[in-house]
Amino acid sequence: MPHPLLADNPGETHLLLGNEAIVRGAVEAGIQVVTCYPGTPSSEAPDTFFRLSPEGKYYFEYSVNEKVALEVGGGATLAGALTLTTMKHVGVNVAADPLMTLCYTGAPGGFVLLSADDPGCHSSQNEQDNRIYARLGGMPVFEPSTAQEAKDMTRDALAMSKKHEAPVMLRTTTRVNHLRGPVEFGNAPDPGKAKGFTKNPSRFVPIPAFSRRMHLELLDRLDALREEAEKSPYNTVSGAGEIGIAASGISRAYLCDALENAGLKGKVKVFDLGMSYPLPETMALDFMKGLKKLLVVEELEPVLENELRVLAQKNSLDIEIFGKNLLPQNGEFTVTMVENAVREVAGEQAVTVDCCEGRDNLPMRPPNLCAGCPHRGAFFATREVFGDDAIYSSDIGCYTLGLLPPLSCADFLLCMGSSVSAGGGAALAAGQTVVAFIGDSTFFHSGLSGLANAVFNQHDLLLVILDNYTTAMTGHQPNPGVHHTVLGENPSRVDIAKSCEGVGVEVIRKVNPLNRKKTVAALEELKDMKGVRVLIAEEPCPLYARRITRQSKPQVAYVTENCSGRYECLEKLACPAIYKDGDKAAVNELLCSGCMLCLQICPNIKAKKRG
Amino acid sequence: MSDVKPIRIFMTGVGGQGTLTATTLLTQTVLHLGLPVTSGEIHGMAQRGGVVESTVLIGCKSPKIGHGEADVLLGFEPMETLRALPYLKPGGTVFSSSEYMLPLSVATGRETCPSLDEVETAVKACTDDFRFLPCQTLGLEAGAVQAGNIALLGALAASGKTPVTVEAMAEAIRANMKAKIVDVNLKALELGAKQDA
Ligand SMILES: Cc1ncc(C[n+]2csc(CCOP(=O)(O)OP(=O)(O)O)c2C)c(N)n1
Ligand code: SF4
Repeated sequence: MPHPLLADNPGETHLLLGNEAIVRGAVEAGIQVVTCYPGTPSSEAPDTFFRLSPEGKYYFEYSVNEKVALEVGGGATLAGALTLTTMKHVGVNVAADPLMTLCYTGAPGGFVLLSADDPGCHSSQNEQDNRIYARLGGMPVFEPSTAQEAKDMTRDALAMSKKHEAPVMLRTTTRVNHLRGPVEFGNAPDPGKAKGFTKNPSRFVPIPAFSRRMHLELLDRLDALREEAEKSPYNTVSGAGEIGIAASGISRAYLCDALENAGLKGKVKVFDLGMSYPLPETMALDFMKGLKKLLVVEELEPVLENELRVLAQKNSLDIEIFGKNLLPQNGEFTVTMVENAVREVAGEQAVTVDCCEGRDNLPMRPPNLCAGCPHRGAFFATREVFGDDAIYSSDIGCYTLGLLPPLSCADFLLCMGSSVSAGGGAALAAGQTVVAFIGDSTFFHSGLSGLANAVFNQHDLLLVILDNYTTAMTGHQPNPGVHHTVLGENPSRVDIAKSCEGVGVEVIRKVNPLNRKKTVAALEELKDMKGVRVLIAEEPCPLYARRITRQSKPQVAYVTENCSGRYECLEKLACPAIYKDGDKAAVNELLCSGCMLCLQICPNIKAKKRG
Repeated sequence: MSDVKPIRIFMTGVGGQGTLTATTLLTQTVLHLGLPVTSGEIHGMAQRGGVVESTVLIGCKSPKIGHGEADVLLGFEPMETLRALPYLKPGGTVFSSSEYMLPLSVATGRETCPSLDEVETAVKACTDDFRFLPCQTLGLEAGAVQAGNIALLGALAASGKTPVTVEAMAEAIRANMKAKIVDVNLKALELGAKQDA
């Protein structure tokens, strides 16, 4: 029996994660090609496509980065395939170059970009609002607020993209990707084969003479798409009165519950914008006519608010518009926050929520490297050799957690791949030793080009590549260097050492970071050299090993009677499996992964067979 | 949606504890009962021992619960129950595990956790309607530590505070969990439900 997400089972209802609903919507649209680079909160969408790929009727790939994912997807749609490319919001920065031009050439096979934004920075370095990218490029935007809509809008965005040959943005936020709700399925037709490529250089090769015309065609397409927004079932006006509220994205869900709480349902006019760009202006004007006040409810930037203000001004409407003056421009909303903004505009008293008192200053649970994490070994040895004398250029992955004491191995960080290039820049300006850390996935994402640059420009840099055989931080996705994936062996592995060699690095060493002596010795050797040196610290992430290759180490550590109570193990390693028990240290056997790093630090810790 | 009385359930625990499995199971149970349900999860760095918060909302459209909005608070760890108390409506219902999972700073002796008495006092200041259960112990008794969460759900189901019943939960366990772990979880459900009697 095929997996329910792939089966042609219309009428069935399943409880789905927002990201799974997106997968189902794509299947219902007849998706042919899916590309991605993982990143929270988008990852369960591509991971589900990958897991189901042996029985799915689509092509799927984890690309090495977002630019490549968008280009592979772009090429596929140019060759007539219905295509979905997924990434987190900051990924769109990486992919922006091809994206802007794909908006000019258009997407003959249909193309949807899933941009998973993260208001509140639950798992990101910023909370940029990618609806602005959609305006910059000229792409229609769909913003679901429930699991059902995530499914339906994905399907309809793909269909609309194909009809108009225009790239479309499916813009979600963390709450939508990670909500769960019932989804009623539609048909899942056989996608068949892609149409194939039709040569037409004047349409697909953006030399200036062609680009000028392409831009005009894009503007025409947007006019046609505005007409689509005017009749979209996702854009509705309801209620009545002189107070209007316009909302998009997850804010529509908050607004719905807020009106219910305030007893204002039906007593104000509500403009729900599910397809939020291009703005359906006729509809918006109809909605605004007769309103005295208008509140715009949208998280992050005042995008809709500004567009509605422009429309009001152009049409000389006498209407007072509220938005970011009542609701924050950062973080997420809550139902109560929205309710109070509505109440304020309606001239009603704000509700004060009584809430229970918790307690401040409770011990926190900052994320920490897992017990047995090989990164801990690499950082421990690095501190032993360099202490505070080196500048630590970090990158994005689990190893960013090396920032925390006692390991303290991150001094700055810009974005994925920056450890190498920004590390080189810091070294030449500071005249100090720079040690850069990069994970295997990040190395292939954008470390390689920085490394070629470092060789070419003769930077002075010690680069430690933390090869844990997986993309751990975002859920253990494959990358070109991995040996295994959930589907089996990686048949076309790209070797990290050879890649470094290929871009001209002359000094390359390899160690197991859980071997303290050898790692320290390798670092000592590299410390005394100049130029670009690479140390590959190779050892699988124990979580990956357990989940993907079903391997775990046979031994665990224990503390002997002789423990002196100096707690060096605790203080130097901060391993979550070690704790204080009375006046001695102790090891939690359930957490210990058997990495044996602590044995190399204290003679009073020994190994024994697990269980 | 307005014909169903809205109920908002806030759940909190520590990464690796199975908070999300419990959330999904509760959501599936509500769905089986034919009620409109949405749930949400925030688990940025969950696998690395951080706090995991999730929600189950009956008869609401939003998947999020703000401060003072929760009718029920389910804490799978007592200190996390205390941390999440601001989400609870005064007079709401609390079900909490009484067994700690120590954060690193406490395990290394740099900080101390509030005692169970202190947690109870704080809860009492918000509501009379609360119950503490030794979840891990009940889980172990049922056959697996991880089933402890289901014991807490058992207590919730037996309390009648929500439309969810013990039978409906049992059915959802049978329908949605892998055959291997069904019995252990049914046992945990029963143990938790008994605690509420
Ligand atoms: C441009 C961009 N894309 C994606 C992400 C999400 N992300 C964070 S860490 C990471 C991968 C880390 O993998 P790796 O470098 O192998 O380190 P590990 O977590 O395995 O230690 C990704 C994809 C991001 N932060 N920025
Ligand atoms: S998931 Fe793997 S790489 Fe990440 S902290 Fe844990 S052990 Fe280390």
